[in-house]
This record gives sequence, C-alpha cells and structure tokens, in this order.
Amino acid sequence: MTPLAINWSHVWLVTGLGFCMVIVLLVVLIFILKLLGAVISSAVKAPKEAQPKAIAQTPAAQAAPAATSADDDLAAIAMALHLYFNGVHDVEPTEIHIKRVERSGWNSKLYGMNNLHR
Amino acid sequence: MGDILEFFEQMGFMNMTYQQGIMLLLSFFLLYLAIKKQYEPLLLLPIAFGMLLTNLPGAGMYHSELWAAFLDANSPAYHSYGTIMREGGLLDILYIGVKAGVYPCLIFMGVGAMTDFGPLIANPKSLLLGAAAQLGIFLTFLAANSMGFTEAQAGSIGIIGGADGPTSIFLTSKLAPELLGPIAIAAYSYMALVPVIQPPIMRALTTKKERAIKMSQLRPVSKTEKIIFPIAITTIVALILPDAAPLIGCLMLGNLAKECGVVDRLSKTMQNELMNIVVIFLGLTVGATATASSFLDWSTIKIMVMGVVAFGCGTAGGILLAKLMNVFSKEKINPLIGSAGVSAVPMAARVSQQVGQEENPSNFLLMHAMGPNVAGVIGSAVAAGILLTMLG
Repeated sequence: MTPLAINWSHVWLVTGLGFCMVIVLLVVLIFILKLLGAVISSAVKAPKEAQPKAIAQTPAAQAAPAATSADDDLAAIAMALHLYFNGVHDVEPTEIHIKRVERSGWNSKLYGMNNLHR
Repeated sequence: MGDILEFFEQMGFMNMTYQQGIMLLLSFFLLYLAIKKQYEPLLLLPIAFGMLLTNLPGAGMYHSELWAAFLDANSPAYHSYGTIMREGGLLDILYIGVKAGVYPCLIFMGVGAMTDFGPLIANPKSLLLGAAAQLGIFLTFLAANSMGFTEAQAGSIGIIGGADGPTSIFLTSKLAPELLGPIAIAAYSYMALVPVIQPPIMRALTTKKERAIKMSQLRPVSKTEKIIFPIAITTIVALILPDAAPLIGCLMLGNLAKECGVVDRLSKTMQNELMNIVVIFLGLTVGATATASSFLDWSTIKIMVMGVVAFGCGTAGGILLAKLMNVFSKEKINPLIGSAGVSAVPMAARVSQQVGQEENPSNFLLMHAMGPNVAGVIGSAVAAGILLTMLG
C-alpha cells in the first residue's frame, strides 16, 4: 500500500478518538474508584461511632464504667505474653557440675535409651 | 543403495534453504539471550525453541500454508479447525489456542491472580498515568500507517507500545495474524529491554528536583474494596467496551479469586500450573509462526523500529502527564512514576524506583509506581478493545 492510498481521515479519527476514549474510560474508572473508597470508608467508620452509643443505652453499662473491647483485647494480649515468657524456659540449676545429673527436659532422652550389650 | 540415497535426500540438511539457516541461527541467538542474559526467559525460551522447531526442514510441526488457507475465504479450508486437526502438526494444533484468542486470556487470568491492585485503589489518579502511557500505541499506529502498513497491521504494531505481551498477541491474532511472529518477538524483546530503553527518556524529560520528589505514603486499602474492585471494573469496562471484555474479564477473575480468599486452590492454580502450561503453549506456537518466509522481510525490521518508537512514546506520555498533573495538583507526584504506565509489570515500576533512588537514595517510589503500572495493564487492554472495535 502506498501512502497516497491511505485513508488519512480514518487514520486520524482512529488515533484521536481512540486515545481520547482510553482517557475518558479510565477517568470514569477514577471517579468510580473514588466513590467506592468514600462509600466503604464511611461504612467502616459508621459502626465504630455507633458502638459506644449502643453500649451506653443498656442498664448494666450505665451502672458500671464500661470496659471497651480494646481494653479486653489489651488485657488478653498482656496475659498471653506473661504466660508465654514465664513458660519459655525450664528452671535450671545455676551450678556447673559433672557427676550429678538431674532429670530435666534437656536430657530426658538419655533415660529412655538402653545400652547395647554385645 | 537406492534406500540410502533416499534417506540422504530426506535429511533436513539436504532440504534446508539459506533463509531457514538464518532463522535457526536467530533462534540460537534468542536462546542465548534467554538462558545466558536472562531476558524474559520464561517466554523467550519457548518462543526461541518454537522458532527452532518450525524452521527445521521436513519436521512438519507447523504449516503456515494451512493457516493461510484458514484465512482465505475462497479456500475449502476457510475457518476450518477440522482441516487443521486432520492435516496439521503438533504446533498447528497448539496454535488453535492462539488463533481462538484463548491463551492470552488465560495468561491474563494468571496475571490477575498475581497482581495486587491495592496501590491503584489507594491512588485512583494513577489510572490517568496508565492512560497517558498508551499514547505510544496511537502515535505508532499513525507512524506505521505512513510506512505503508494497512490500518489493521498498524494497530497491531502500535499495541507493542502497551508493553503487554498477551494483549499484543490477542490483538494481532485478530487483526493481522500474518505479523504475529515479529510482533510477539518485538513486544517481548522490548519488555525485557525496559531497563535499557526507559531511563534515558526519563532523565531527559525530568529535572533533578523533580526526580527527587518524595511522595506521601499510600492509604491502607480494605479487603472489601479489593473484592469489589474487580467486579466493578469488569462490569463497567465490559458494558462500555464489549471487545475488551475477554482480556479485562479474565484479568479481573484472576484477581477476584486471589482477593476473595475463599478459592485459594483456584487462585494458586491460576498463578502457577495454568499460567505455566499456557506460557509453554503460547511461547512455542508464537515462535512457530516466525517461519523464514514470514520473518525475513523488510516489514520485520520496520516492526522492530516501530516497537522502540512505541515504547519511547508511551514512556514519554506517562512522564509528561505526571508533570502536567503537578502543575494543577497541590500534592506533588514524582514524574518518574509516569513511565511505569506502560504495563511491563513489575519491571517498569522497578525502573522508576531505581532512577528515583539515583537522585535521592532515601526515596522509595516502588509502591507509588505500582499504581500506574497495573493501571497500564488495564489501559493497554482497553486500548486493544478500542482498536479491535474500530479496525476489526
């Protein structure tokens, strides 16, 4: 095909209109994503704001200072950490010795083994 | 004695043309680039091997004449997959997946399952950069027309600028299947060369001060947003542009499988087994289309030149729009992330990060660049849909 045979008006139309359509379509998607973000963030905020009001309306909550769920979570995490760090190691004797061997979690395998008699 | 002579006459060596010899050498070179230089090896290796197989004289694994008859409305084999199955070789049969546009869509499914659209959802303006980077596609379409290609061929050459292999193959198989081999090889070669092609353009179009701009941290994105995103994008894009539905639909299906968290098995299959199998088939068959008669032609050289132009224009388009956005926006963005608008995920985003850190080592642009980068995937699929609608 020689350049003279090209339908330039159609080529320019495809170039201009095509590129504009890409831009327009993606701009539409930008608005939709922004809308989606706004709707979802408002939906996430709404229950958090509504929760303290709901607690305050119950008689028990009015009588005693309410412990929020965050406090409960912190207490549970602190207890779990306390139990974990207290249970990580056995209590080991601090003396260094050779002969006396105490049973502990570190050497228990020795007591389960039998010598081989040949 | 007659049998021995017949045996020698049937040997490939006796039937090889010099063009086939050149193609074999070219396939060895591409294999070298894939294995030694690791240029997109996952795709370049099967493509190069497909090229090797198709140019072996007498092997009969791929028949370009069968596919020419398949496209010829006057031939009895016109659009007859039965003829291909009956008379074709192994690569002809596997090529049906390319011809029917199946493989690129399945690859897009895997790409979707591996992609995190979080940076794009957090900063939707990235979509503008992804759109601007498609400038290369349309400018190259214009240039290819002036170089004597038909409009359909020019559209297929232009799509190289989208830096998206599956999209290039999908569109070319529909618009100009005779150019599939050179276009696929150009697209994947230039994608591998993104770290070489882009940095000089990025440095030329930006000042030191602009390259050192630090961007604020992206907001966290909720799981709900990530789940709604693929559904919304598929619905809207497919309703506006139905021709883009196969690519966008598969991309978003893969992403939904990843984000919803209830179909982990499907998501892992899409990311690994399915993707790998399809990559092997696609690479082999695309390489097989690069026969000596179709590849050793002036048009191949023109396509290679146009491919660089397309990449360069796309990179420049993204950067220039980012600079323009800085004029009107209060919150400045680093124009280097605009170059990631050509898809080439995640290579183009990594290049933005590297060039940014050369100017300011404490600057981390990677996540900001991932927004335009994944927007580029959507943008190039949309551009392919538009070209298919207007030229198909």
